[in-house]
Amino acid sequence: MRVGKRIIGAQAPVTIGWENIPRVEGGPVKRAFFTWFQPTVLLGLLAFWYYAPNSIAKASTAIGIGIGFKVLLLGLEWVNPRFASWRLTWKELVTDLFYVGLGYTILRLVDSFIGSDALIKALMAQMHWEKLAWFTGLPLLVQAFLISFLFDFGQYWMHRGMHNWYPLWLTHSVHHYITQLNINKGAVGNPVELFLIGLGVGGFFDFLPRAALMAGAFGLAIGTYQHINVRFNSPRWWRFLFNTTEHHSLHHSQDYEATRSNYAGSYIFIDRMFGTCVDGEAELLGMEEGRRMSIREQMSFPFTEGWRTMKERLGGRTASAVPAE
Amino acid sequence: MSGLALARGRAPGGEANLRWIDWIWHVRGAVTLEPGMSAAEALDRLEPLFRERGTRYERGGDALSFRKKDQPAQDRMAVFDSGTLRVEGGALRYDLASRMLLACFLAPLLFLAFAQATVVVGAWHQPAAEAPAAKPKALPMNPIDKALGAPEPEAPGKNGAEGIGRGKKPSHTPGYVFAGMFAVLYLVGRVLEARMVRALFVRKLAA
Repeated sequence: MRVGKRIIGAQAPVTIGWENIPRVEGGPVKRAFFTWFQPTVLLGLLAFWYYAPNSIAKASTAIGIGIGFKVLLLGLEWVNPRFASWRLTWKELVTDLFYVGLGYTILRLVDSFIGSDALIKALMAQMHWEKLAWFTGLPLLVQAFLISFLFDFGQYWMHRGMHNWYPLWLTHSVHHYITQLNINKGAVGNPVELFLIGLGVGGFFDFLPRAALMAGAFGLAIGTYQHINVRFNSPRWWRFLFNTTEHHSLHHSQDYEATRSNYAGSYIFIDRMFGTCVDGEAELLGMEEGRRMSIREQMSFPFTEGWRTMKERLGGRTASAVPAE
Repeated sequence: MSGLALARGRAPGGEANLRWIDWIWHVRGAVTLEPGMSAAEALDRLEPLFRERGTRYERGGDALSFRKKDQPAQDRMAVFDSGTLRVEGGALRYDLASRMLLACFLAPLLFLAFAQATVVVGAWHQPAAEAPAAKPKALPMNPIDKALGAPEPEAPGKNGAEGIGRGKKPSHTPGYVFAGMFAVLYLVGRVLEARMVRALFVRKLAA
């Protein structure tokens, strides 16, 4: 299928165009639920954080809501899966939770020393800079959107860089060895990549705590749908603005050209702005025709593969420098 | 008994010794065959299960052994990495090994270690001296938010208000929570996967 100047789907089956993507089938209640669930949750969460008393509007509440929401989505995966072949198994659940666990423990510990917030804090202290305090005077919703958009904009370019520059690709490639999408699959990846993708410039800004919680709600109620095995009838305006499972499944497809699209985490309009958005979906995911990489290999692959490539290149140069006898 | 033999868990009678613990990652069981079903027929019915990407198998006599590498999630026996199926005495007896079961069994130790590392690093990274508590600054509120009825912002530290993320020390609690989660997941998986693979064999043999 030709999309702009690109041929997509030459290597593996993909579906291009919203009109070709299956809709949720069933009675009117089921169809209404899976049409309005996403916007309702987003508006509900924003309203909650906007009006919650200060005694409730805190990070621990956000963590509780995040966990509860993911458990609910796991239930929806069970009730209305997008593809039977993406069913969550015990092994997949354990693997995914292992990476989630790394994110909550050792990676958070490392981040507290060398994460972007820690580095920006040190830099600002060194340079005697003040945080950009004008940010806090903006309306809450504007602050929240800007925090979320700035992070996603940075993530878009980091992610695009990972698909276009080999050293970065080495770290990101292991995430593309997943062969199905489920709630926690976003956490699967080499720790170096997880560190890189978490870098942001938010540390330069001062903002109201409530705005940060609302920015988290944007991420939770939009970004979470990148990796999920649920079929939704997302409204037209939603899929124009926001990243969906359809977009991200295409990004993970076994077709190389299709993977070079849909880089944003939450706001697919960033891809539309820079010409990298493709509307469609794929069921067959992964690399090397669906080889599932073990956790052990995911941990070492960027280093072993990088070393192998370096040896090949250096070996090749040496060989070409010596004339054949 | 040599130290090497001990280290490998294969002392005289070592196989038997390992059996004390290898139930952690081995699933063993038996399914009674229909009367009159031959070994070849039973294995013929099960063989399609092993025609999967990343799976190598061989049949010899009344047995089938297999080994999997990088098996896709969609493989119905993906949780197992190797095993043997043998027909003897009118029953299919199987012994299947799973690295994932072993990893899940050991995962709580890893997360307990992470929790301890957080405690140790937290103690080592204590600030040299307690800074005098800064007076909480009044935070601005946009008139639009005031008009729409949002609560007045409260500075972190005031009346127990929490800061958001930044500057907060990592907690050891998630390490303990994940250790507990993997312990529960192991118990669930050890029972569930044994039942599921047995049900799969029963279904295939009846087909």
